[in-house]
Amino acid sequence: MNTPLSIRRFKQLSLAVSLSMSVLSAHAQAPAAPAPAWKQGMPDAMATSTLAPLPGKLTATKAADVPINRIKLPPGFKVEVWADSVPGSRAIAQGDGGKYYVGTRPLGRVYEITDNGTTRTSRVVIDKLDQPTVAYKDGTLFVIAVDKVLRFDGIDKNPTVAPVDLTAKFNLPPEKHHNWKYIAFGPDGKLYVPFGAPCNICEPPSAEYAQIRRYNADGSGMEVLARGVRNTVGFDWHPVTNEMWFSNHGRDWLGDETPNDTMHRMKVGGHYGFPSCHQGNLPDPDVKRPKPCDGIEQPVALMGPHSATMGVKFYTGNMFPAEYRNVLFNARKGSWNRTKKIGHDVVMVRADADGKNAKVEPFMTGFSNEGDQSWWGRPAYLHQMNDGAMLVSDEQNGVIYRVSYSK
Amino acid sequence: MAFLGVAILAPLFSAAQKPPNRANMCNACHGPNGNSVLKDMPSIAGQPKVFIENQLVLIREGMRDIPQMKGVLDNMPDTELTELANYYTSLKIAKPPAQKQAALYDKGETLSKEMRCGICHLPTYVGREQMPRLAGQREDYLLYTMRAMQANQAVGRDPIMIASLYGISDEDLKAISHYLSRLSK
Repeated sequence: MNTPLSIRRFKQLSLAVSLSMSVLSAHAQAPAAPAPAWKQGMPDAMATSTLAPLPGKLTATKAADVPINRIKLPPGFKVEVWADSVPGSRAIAQGDGGKYYVGTRPLGRVYEITDNGTTRTSRVVIDKLDQPTVAYKDGTLFVIAVDKVLRFDGIDKNPTVAPVDLTAKFNLPPEKHHNWKYIAFGPDGKLYVPFGAPCNICEPPSAEYAQIRRYNADGSGMEVLARGVRNTVGFDWHPVTNEMWFSNHGRDWLGDETPNDTMHRMKVGGHYGFPSCHQGNLPDPDVKRPKPCDGIEQPVALMGPHSATMGVKFYTGNMFPAEYRNVLFNARKGSWNRTKKIGHDVVMVRADADGKNAKVEPFMTGFSNEGDQSWWGRPAYLHQMNDGAMLVSDEQNGVIYRVSYSK
Repeated sequence: MAFLGVAILAPLFSAAQKPPNRANMCNACHGPNGNSVLKDMPSIAGQPKVFIENQLVLIREGMRDIPQMKGVLDNMPDTELTELANYYTSLKIAKPPAQKQAALYDKGETLSKEMRCGICHLPTYVGREQMPRLAGQREDYLLYTMRAMQANQAVGRDPIMIASLYGISDEDLKAISHYLSRLSK
C-alpha cells in the first residue's frame, strides 16, 4: 500500500544547495521528510543543465523499421531481429518447448514468445504490473514486480495457469525507485533478488535497500548477501568458479567522468560502498563518512561513467569461437547524465577467473553515433540460447536480436 | 519568393493537421483543438509527441489510472495512438489568461528555478520528448496533478517527478502552478 509521505523516514541530506528558506521552514516541525529529488546531490554548478533521462518508446516496432544494418559486430558474427513488436522488452528467461518469457518496465507486461525454429509469435501472460521481471525454473515462471511476486506453476503444460501470489513471503520494501529488478536462479537453485537504493544519492530510509539477497524459490530462507549496492541490473555466475559477478550503476550528477558504473564479484557479506563510496575509491561529496572507502569491495572493472551497465552473461556456448569462452558479456543501455553519450552497446569483459587483469572491449556497437550524439537503440539484457547464439533485448525498440556466429 | 514558398507549403501543412477520427472524442473533454475549458482538465495541444503517445499507451494499458478515460482507449492499436499524438503535438496551445497576480507569479518563478524544473522540462518549460509542456497549461490542472503526485495517487507516473515534490508545501505548489500557467512560449 502507499505510505503517506509524512511518515516516511528518509533522512535529509545536509547539502550545500541554495534553497529557499520557505521550503525548509515549511518542514521544520515535520519528522524527517524525504529530500526532494532535485536536492539529491545535484550541485549548483549543474542547476542549468538540461541532461535528462532518455525517452522510452512504448509502441510496437516492426523488424522492417529497425536499422539493423547499422549494428557492428566482429567478423563472422551476424545479427537478426529474432522477435519484434514486443514493446519495452527487457528481461529474458528461457522456458521449455521453445518458449521464452520477457519482462518490461513502464508497460507492465510479461510476454511469452514461442519460437518454432523459424518464426516467433508472442502473447501477453500478465499485464498491469509495476515493472515486472522474470525467471524460470523447472516448468515454473517467476514474475517479480516492484510490489508483487507471482509464481506460475507448470506454465509449460498449462499456459493459462492462475498465478500463486508469494508477495508476503518475500517481504518487499515499499519504495519504487531503483526497485525494478534483475532476477535469476543461481547454481545453488536459489533465487537472487536485488533491492536498489530508492534515490539517486541518499542515506537509505532503512537497511533493506541497496542489497542483494537470495531466497529459496518459495520465498523462505532469505539471506542478505551484499550491502551498499546502489543498483545492480545484471548478474551471472562464473563458469569456472561459480562465483556471482554483477553490474552496478553509479550515481548521477557527479560530472561527466565520475563515477563509473562497475562490474563486481560477489563476496558474501561484503559492502560495495553506497552511499559514501563509489567505484571502490571515490568518496561521495554529499553523504560523507570518515574513511568511506575503507573495507569496501573493489570492482573487477570500471564500465564507464553513467554508461548504464545492464545485463551480464558469461558465454559458455560452443557456437562462438574458443576465444569467447567464459568471457563476460555486458549490455550497456547508454548514458543520460553525461554531456557526451557512452554505452548503447554490448561490451566484453575479459578477466582472469579471480577478477584480475580485466579488459573491457567492444562487441556489438552502432546503436549510437558519436559524431552527432544521436542514438536509436538501447541494449538491455542478454540470454544465451541452447545452440550458443546470444539474444540481446533492445528495450528502446521493443525487439530482441539474435547474435550468431559461423565461419 | 518567401510568399510563394508559404503558398506552396500551405496545403501540405493543413493536410498534416487533418484531425484523426477519434479527435472529437478527445476534444469532448480536452477542449476544442486540445485546449481545455474544463476545471482540472489538461490541455493537450502542443504537448511533446512522445509524451502524448506514452500517456495514451499507459492509460490504455491501465497503468495510468484516469477514471474518466477508463475503457475509452480499449483495443485501440498503437498506430492510432501515434496518429493522435502527432495531431495534438502539431496544435498550438491557447494564449494564457492575461490576468496574473504579480507576487504569486514572482514566487512561482523563483521556486521553479530553485526546484530546477527546467532541467527536464527545459528552461522555457515547453517540455520535450517524454516530459510534458508546463508553459501555458491550465493553472488548476497543474495544481491538481502535483497534489495527486504528492498524495501518491498518480498511479503509473514517473517516480522521479513524485520524488521531486517531496516536502513541498501546498502554498508553493499554488505559486508554481500560477507562474507556469501564465507562460506563453
